[in-house]
Amino acid sequence: MAGSIEQRIPLGAEGAVSLPLLDRIHQWVVTVDHKRLGLMYIAGGLVFFIVAGLQAMTIRLQLAIPNAGIVPPDMFNRLMTMHGTTMVFLVGMPILTGFFNYLVPLMIGARDLAFPRLNAFGFWLWLFGALLLYFSYIGGNGLYGAGSAPDVGWFAYAPLTERAFSRGNSTDYWILSIFLTSVGSTATALNLITTTFTMRCEGMTLRKMPVLVWMSLVVSFMILIVLPPLSAAQVMLLLDRFVGAHFFDTQAGGSAVLWQHFFWIFGHPEVYILVIPAFGFASEIIPVFSRKVIFGYEVMVAATVAIGFISMSVWAHHMFAVGMTPAGNAFFATSTMLVGVPTGIKIFNWIGTMWGGKIRFKVPMLFSVAFLLQFLIAGLTGIMLAVAPFDWQLTDTYFVVAHFHYVLVGAIIFMIFAAVYYWFPKATGKMLNEHLGKWHFWLFFIGFHLTFDTMHFAGLHGMPRRIYTYQPGRGLDTLNLIETFGALVQAAAVLCLFVNVVRSLRSGEEAGNDPWDAWTLEWATTSPPPAYNFVEQPVVRSRRPLWDLKHPDDPDSKYE
Amino acid sequence: MVENSQNEVRLPAPSAAPMLFALGITLAFAGVVTSVSVSIVGIVIAIAGAVSWFSEVLPTEHEEMVTVTPESVVVVQAKLPVAYLEVGEQLNRAVLPLEIFPYTAGIKGGIAGGVVMAVLAVVQGIIFHGSPWYTINILAATAMPSLAQATTATLSAFNPETLAIALLIHATASLLVGLLYGVMLPMFPRYPAFFAAIVAPLLWTGLLWATLDVINPVLDLRIEWRWFILCQIAFGAVAGYVVDRTEKVRTLQHLPFAVRTGIEARYRANDDQKGDA
Amino acid sequence: MAAAPAVANQSQIEWKGSLPEKGRVGILLLILTESSFFAIFVVAYLFYIGKSLNGPYPKDVLSPPIINTICLLSSSITIVFAVRALRVGSIGTFTLWWLVTLALGLEFMIGTGLEWQELIYHDGLTISTNLFGTTFFSLVGLHALHVTIGLILILFVSILTLLGYMDRRYAERTEILSWYWHFVDAVWVVVFTTVYVIGR
Repeated sequence: MAGSIEQRIPLGAEGAVSLPLLDRIHQWVVTVDHKRLGLMYIAGGLVFFIVAGLQAMTIRLQLAIPNAGIVPPDMFNRLMTMHGTTMVFLVGMPILTGFFNYLVPLMIGARDLAFPRLNAFGFWLWLFGALLLYFSYIGGNGLYGAGSAPDVGWFAYAPLTERAFSRGNSTDYWILSIFLTSVGSTATALNLITTTFTMRCEGMTLRKMPVLVWMSLVVSFMILIVLPPLSAAQVMLLLDRFVGAHFFDTQAGGSAVLWQHFFWIFGHPEVYILVIPAFGFASEIIPVFSRKVIFGYEVMVAATVAIGFISMSVWAHHMFAVGMTPAGNAFFATSTMLVGVPTGIKIFNWIGTMWGGKIRFKVPMLFSVAFLLQFLIAGLTGIMLAVAPFDWQLTDTYFVVAHFHYVLVGAIIFMIFAAVYYWFPKATGKMLNEHLGKWHFWLFFIGFHLTFDTMHFAGLHGMPRRIYTYQPGRGLDTLNLIETFGALVQAAAVLCLFVNVVRSLRSGEEAGNDPWDAWTLEWATTSPPPAYNFVEQPVVRSRRPLWDLKHPDDPDSKYE
Repeated sequence: MVENSQNEVRLPAPSAAPMLFALGITLAFAGVVTSVSVSIVGIVIAIAGAVSWFSEVLPTEHEEMVTVTPESVVVVQAKLPVAYLEVGEQLNRAVLPLEIFPYTAGIKGGIAGGVVMAVLAVVQGIIFHGSPWYTINILAATAMPSLAQATTATLSAFNPETLAIALLIHATASLLVGLLYGVMLPMFPRYPAFFAAIVAPLLWTGLLWATLDVINPVLDLRIEWRWFILCQIAFGAVAGYVVDRTEKVRTLQHLPFAVRTGIEARYRANDDQKGDA
Repeated sequence: MAAAPAVANQSQIEWKGSLPEKGRVGILLLILTESSFFAIFVVAYLFYIGKSLNGPYPKDVLSPPIINTICLLSSSITIVFAVRALRVGSIGTFTLWWLVTLALGLEFMIGTGLEWQELIYHDGLTISTNLFGTTFFSLVGLHALHVTIGLILILFVSILTLLGYMDRRYAERTEILSWYWHFVDAVWVVVFTTVYVIGR
């Protein structure tokens, strides 16, 4: 889709207007329309999803059998670092930002975001930052003078990132590019909150907003509060590396643990920044495919706000192994377990929504149900890891890898797929093929469980994470082979999605304005929506304005 | 953004300035790891972008008029009527007790059982060791490791400290087990007496017997297990009897699920839902 | 969507009036995120107090910049006077107070520059000397960077004013700029407390 268009920005920016193709590219480059920017975010994110997915495939192939030598060890470190960094900053963040960008103004009945130019700025900053990160493969100036990418892990622990241990510029690329994308994300978050507060259509009070808009609000506030610590720590690291400051320089009295604190103050809420949008998608999709109103709207919103607050006080559960005080361990173990309460409430609410409903198992709903199951398991292993002594035993093993991939893939990627199937008809006017979609779902579901269920056991058997290879006969051989096989199945599933997208764009079934018989405002306009979104500014009286119109005999406004 | 007429809408005008500004900043950053000249070019581009951005929002924001296509979106009224959940559908019934004992029953049972047990234990002390304080001191020894090493003479003597500790332990344990009986007995609707008097005491005595040897072997030697079982069974029987005699109270569970959770559903108040368990 | 536009107009205007102004929301959010950014630097400063392995130490070289502080804090008051004057449309008063604000801000920057010159050339304290130097120059420097950005914006408005483009229509935008300036001042109170009171 637009992914290929973005690569040609310099051409388009020069602006030859005679050729229709260049003309079209020019339109995308200079656009300030939230829908186009949203689509560019999502398309860009999907492109990087392929890149990071291929990196993961290489890692898995290397680990498929003991003592494999598919890639050299130093390249393995780069692969692992770039896979993590890319998936978090260049896949998760832009895709979720893109969906919010696209959906929030439509859902609240606005014409655009509050600061449309700032929105474009955020997108371009993200894209250029991403390209800068990948430019490090050419310009990284690693230890041997050749170009190389960052290899310090996605959380770049000090003091390994100091000049003395990380020669060349690869770590600087990591710092600068992630700093840029963070600034872009912060700008977008600011924009989304302002839009939500100031541009809602008539009648849409805060308590009548769709749940997804609430999720965007919570996530945006979290971004504003927790991204700056990362940026600040990166500035400190840059000062260390370039002008000889000593923030994380242990030889001059600096503290390496301080970096861990700063990083995880950002790093843990970041997980929630990624997963709360998934909650938002689930809260839109599950009611529509259960033919029931969302169960416990107020509690749902309150639970999300609670998650937002609590998640900012749990960061050091990533650091039980550094040797904190017993009081610190106890505090962070307790607060981590506390997150389970609002999260559990949400899972019950989704089940309550499905309860007694007329469930239609279309592809988005399939992904959502799998999400419920997998997110529950991810939460349970999270509670296990919150117990400090248990964590001492399993920290930095594949059990942890399995746990967070259950969240990031099992919950977030599954819900991103659900959202793609659900809103693709709105954005393009074409349906995605249901049959191919079911192939995508089942292959991905099976592949996911083959890979990540077995990782738990590999971890319990003592397989350390980030390891380059392992010896045969230690009980890890079969598990790792199954994991790699599962990864290949997942790759096949993602291929189904891309075939599906291309086929639908060329010759998909016409979607119509409202293919799912849904209730929120984005379905009240054409597919794709015009630049101005709505001919007349909508007026709403309940949380499900389209339901009110479809069922004048029994409108929601009667009950709310 | 207020419309002038019905056919046109004001929208923010497209602009390359944000892209230029972002490109400039990125190049300025990239110069840090490549060459100063890259930074200089970047700063120049960024300034150009910023100036063009400012000129677009000052004094007023640039906007363009977009003609509205008179393509009205019609929302079709649903043909299907709204279906309501019916209250009290058998299939949706969860298996939870409809009637339970009040918590006071458990407390009363615990007190009664505790008294009987204490009397039996003291009797045991008098019969086997000639002193009513013996078993009391043994119980206190579970919380005071020093006592486990004491001689039989010490254990037979009166000691206000051990008496207080033993009473505290006994009272707490009796009350808690009594409460547990109050909660659990309704879940065994067939032979509650058998469960209360025999199964439960044997279970926890067995657990103690198996583990005390590891936890506190010295104390283990001093316990007369047959009397111990007798005391436990007496407690279980009395506590169970007191609890079981109490009149049960109905829980919210006898209401249909939809009513308890406030799901929007049609509730026919004259429906009798008693028999739905 | 539902109601006819002719009917909706009145309620629409009322509804729009009940929503907050977007520039104000935006600047408050910017202040929120900037506060979080500063907080990390303040935490780093507090964490490293007394952990320098070699001198110079804060008590040897730092003296509280009282005059600077007075200038910067009073500029927060003069900018309020300026914006108020603009709201009632008296451009002359606005220009006067606005230029006073600019001058006070400039004084602060000059004072900071002199302090740094003294520290660097006389006391031999640079960012790479010890942990104190590292945290001092980064925290105070970060604040000075924000003052500089604020001064550039204030200067920009001053030029527009002197060229005669300013009128009361822009009072709202000027107000928003003044909120940013207040934030920079408030941060200085925190920085001053951290560096010159607690850290010395």
